[in-house]
Amino acid sequence: MNNRIFKRILQNKASLAGFVLVALFALVALLAPVLAPVHNPHDPYQLPQSSYSMTPQPPSAEHIFGTTEQQYDLYYGVVWGTRLAFKIGITVTFFAFLIGLFLGAAAAYFGGMIDELIMRFTDVVFAVPSLVLAMVIAAMLGPDTHNMMIALTAVAWPSYARLVRGDILSVKQRDFVTASRALGARGPRLLLKHILPNSIYPSVVVASLDIGYIVLTAASLSFLGLGAQPGTADWGQLIAMARNWVLGSSTNTFAYWYTVVVPGGVIFLFVLGWNLLGDGFRDILDPRQG
Amino acid sequence: MKNPVEIKNLYKSYPRRGLHLLSKPEDKTVLHNVTMQVAEREIVGLVGESGCGKTTLAKVLLGLESYQAGSVKVNGLELKDLSKAGFKKLRRQVQVVFQDPYSSLDPRQTVRQILCEPWDIHNMHLDPAEREKLLCALLRSVGLDPLYLDRWPHEFSGGQRQRIAIARALALEPQLLVADEPVSALDVSVQAQILNLLKDISRTRALSMLFISHDFAVARFLCDRIAVMYRGQILESAPTEQLLLNPQHPYTEALLSAVPMPDPHMQKVRQPIPLKYQPKRTQSPCPYAPRCQYYQAAQCGRSAAETEISAGHFCACVRLPFQKEKSSYAIQ
Repeated sequence: MNNRIFKRILQNKASLAGFVLVALFALVALLAPVLAPVHNPHDPYQLPQSSYSMTPQPPSAEHIFGTTEQQYDLYYGVVWGTRLAFKIGITVTFFAFLIGLFLGAAAAYFGGMIDELIMRFTDVVFAVPSLVLAMVIAAMLGPDTHNMMIALTAVAWPSYARLVRGDILSVKQRDFVTASRALGARGPRLLLKHILPNSIYPSVVVASLDIGYIVLTAASLSFLGLGAQPGTADWGQLIAMARNWVLGSSTNTFAYWYTVVVPGGVIFLFVLGWNLLGDGFRDILDPRQG
Repeated sequence: MKNPVEIKNLYKSYPRRGLHLLSKPEDKTVLHNVTMQVAEREIVGLVGESGCGKTTLAKVLLGLESYQAGSVKVNGLELKDLSKAGFKKLRRQVQVVFQDPYSSLDPRQTVRQILCEPWDIHNMHLDPAEREKLLCALLRSVGLDPLYLDRWPHEFSGGQRQRIAIARALALEPQLLVADEPVSALDVSVQAQILNLLKDISRTRALSMLFISHDFAVARFLCDRIAVMYRGQILESAPTEQLLLNPQHPYTEALLSAVPMPDPHMQKVRQPIPLKYQPKRTQSPCPYAPRCQYYQAAQCGRSAAETEISAGHFCACVRLPFQKEKSSYAIQ
């Protein structure tokens, strides 16, 4: 089974590219302490700062991606930011998936009043644009990486709840579930053996696509000052610190290009990788394509 | 000897909420005073247009739907009174084959998992070697190669899938098989194979069968007796040949008139009886009155009880005795 999924990923060029990108990022995240030795053992996500000079410095032997304003090292930020991105993306998606799965399954399984209550509540969450709602929650809880993750989870779960509920309702009606009931199967067996395995995969695909999107939203929150704090190795923070340096002097417009291109490019590649991989998953998890 | 199936005066209705949220829920009656039996080793066909309640009757018989009044006995046991354990035991006596073989097999289970599920649920045949032997025998008995055990449903054609569904139904060695239009989703050539298989199986395993269909030709091939259903009521039931050669109820006659004949000359002569719906006649207690070609206001105002007009031939129509001579729409 796993072998089969792996083989299919390698066969499709797009999903192969996505797989390579995500694998590279995962490698960077795992090897972060080797690639960029920790300088503050109490908080490895603390960016090293070589001076307090405001002007960013271009790539050099010492700082291979250059430095941002106040001389934070971009290379260190990218490497440890990768680890933070995985931490945020996977944790948030995992909990959002779990909450959505639980609420969606409860709504579909019990129906009636419980269904109405849960689904109208998800509608309320859906009604507010997710970034705005995440901003409000993050602002209420106070700017901090963990609070940002809570805020992101709070806005990410409704799509799973809705998806899981709809899929369970449609699978519940299929003949193989009725056949299993006719064979004598009851609630838990039906749910675990037939209904969930046939209704969970769309959500898995959405989850794999979501990881990239969650990281992007987290970067937006950090950029707005509602997530990671200045000096944290976070991609959104790196872009926030490039805010004043998007355009250089009148003679050299792109003098400080690296401050924007390096963190922006990393975010772009990360989201692209997960999207390609998610598309690949969607094709592979469909058993009809053997 | 007890009949495997004994249904008496069965009523079933679904609650229907009105368009308005606060309006009182109305009940929609789907089975109305249904009485029928299936004897041991007998194949009874249930024929009627779509939406007339055939599948609902099957679901009630399978214990998947409740009913409001009347009695449904399977092997002498009243379904309503069964405990959970008793109900589970009943599963081993009554099994089902559905119409659509593409939706009746779980796409995420292999043939082996599908066929083992009945045994898993009932804790039967736990020894792996014994299981393997039984699985192979089961697949052979429906005409499939045991090599197919580890394949997925999507690798099979519709006919093969239906064979797998039949094998699953037979795994518990039931006495009664409910077949809900098992061939109407299949190609004609495959239909014949599946029908032959069902016929063989019912003989070798001494099965009783309730065979639901809308196709008289199919029902004629397989069934010992045919019951014609309309709007939740059984209007006529008789031994197969008797029903086809000597249809008594106007509805049966109308249905038979719509069966195409393989002979083009005969087909030209046979004009299907038009079934025009006349809403004015809905006052009549007869469900078929609004479409009846012989409707007479004076006669059809009272309800018609099911009467036995000849041995085993029951018909519910007030105009009985209807006709002695052969109907021109009889199928030879």
